[in-house]
Amino acid sequence: MRAVRLLLFVLGAAATAYGGWLLLPQLGTALPWLIGGPALHDALVAPLVGLVGLALGRLVTDRRRRAWIAAGLLASATLLLIAVPLLWRPPSAPPNPGLPDRDYPLGLAVGLAVVWAAIAIVLVVATAVDRRVTHRRSDSR
Amino acid sequence: MIRRARIPAPEDFTASSHSPLVAARLGLWLGVAFGLCFGTGLLSHYIQHPPGWFSWPTRPVNLYRITQGVHVLSGVAAIPLLLAKLWSVYPRLFVRPPVRQPIRLSAHALERISVLVLVCAAFFELVTGLFNVAQSYPWGFFFPTAHYAVAWLVAGAVLLHVAVKLPVARAALKTPLRRNAPVAAMTPGSDDSVERRAFLRTSAGVAGIAVLATAGVTVPWLRRVSPLAWRSAAGPQGVPINRTAAAARIVVPPHWRLEIVWPGGRRTVSLPELAALPPRTAHLPIACVEGWSASAHWTGVPVVQLLRWAGAPTGRPVRFTSLETEGLYAASTLPAAHASDPLTLLALRINGEQLSPDHGYPCRLIAPSRPGVLQTKWVARLEVWR
Repeated sequence: MRAVRLLLFVLGAAATAYGGWLLLPQLGTALPWLIGGPALHDALVAPLVGLVGLALGRLVTDRRRRAWIAAGLLASATLLLIAVPLLWRPPSAPPNPGLPDRDYPLGLAVGLAVVWAAIAIVLVVATAVDRRVTHRRSDSR
Repeated sequence: MIRRARIPAPEDFTASSHSPLVAARLGLWLGVAFGLCFGTGLLSHYIQHPPGWFSWPTRPVNLYRITQGVHVLSGVAAIPLLLAKLWSVYPRLFVRPPVRQPIRLSAHALERISVLVLVCAAFFELVTGLFNVAQSYPWGFFFPTAHYAVAWLVAGAVLLHVAVKLPVARAALKTPLRRNAPVAAMTPGSDDSVERRAFLRTSAGVAGIAVLATAGVTVPWLRRVSPLAWRSAAGPQGVPINRTAAAARIVVPPHWRLEIVWPGGRRTVSLPELAALPPRTAHLPIACVEGWSASAHWTGVPVVQLLRWAGAPTGRPVRFTSLETEGLYAASTLPAAHASDPLTLLALRINGEQLSPDHGYPCRLIAPSRPGVLQTKWVARLEVWR
């Protein structure tokens, strides 16, 4: 294991150094985009996710239902992130009429609607099953 | 109870999603996604800037379409996986450095720096890649070289991270997620394994949804399924267009002639002469570096037949130059393997119609298993190399 770790360390250091050397001419303009991700995530996104998680824990007490709603929120957030470059196009993109050729807001709306429709169905079915189980239990008593 | 606000400590995070069992598994999945992304990205880079030892096959004709599709879709899958992984290890951000122990402190600092490089570079690759597929460039650097350089940073930092975490990760991966039944039965209600598995299932599921939502750019049977595919398969004459003739400022001269040059010879050919040569139709994809692809029936003269007709040597690399005077992709070099392939066409027609100006009228290069940016449009000159 020690030899493997040493090998990984040497290869990793070499690849990192090579990447850094390749990036050097553009480091100035790339730096804000390098730092931006983790800064935004650690200071804003992660605390926000934590708060939403806490709120969800208070609002929805059933474990399984909470897991499904959390999954829906995560899927929605991912779809929103993927849609950002499609919906927000700063003018630096080259003017070319051939480029954006689909209705992206509609696509995003459809994606979100499908995700939440699926989760609503799962929750309704789960509730119905729960009810039936409790009914049966009370019947057999 | 009133508690004073303070910086949290790792122990404050009690959710089961922060368990090393979860972090190690997410790390493994993310490693696979990044590995696929890096490998296919490296291939695409070598195809566009081939080193001497590199060669790329012409078959199957969809090969580049597949590798580049894997590239963008593994990147898309990595977005939710990276966020889940960062959430899982978020408490580690608040580990207090061992200030009084110099050796442990330096190890701690090195680990932190390598993780910082990894997270910075990973975010950079996913964000810039995502903007590039939308052909949006809200930054000052040149995308291809920066994206390539930072890919090496990610690869190196991942290897460093694995080197540091290997013992922890191995132990975590060997520990089953599902606790054995007797233990679970003894302590009912405190079973974290259910929530750990739910978190992992959700992460994998969301990665799947993200892929499904975008894969239609290149997977034909998902065209109608993917709501966020950034490109449709439709366009003028059945194929989307990246660069229009107007954007490339193309003016086709009235007496356009194709120039064929080789060491020791030169010949020109007019459009009617080209159209009179025995044609061939091939079903080939335009597979863009942005991951989208669309196939069409192209009709034209096989490049190898054209060279033979002109009396030029074959089996060598051929440089294609466009009428486009500026721009990065005004010329491309066709490797010898592609130049000799009977399916490599100098196309005059697409899906039965004459090429429109935006598709490269009077003629364009279309070769199997190549990136779209190298399928030169508005061809003016062929130069056979030694």
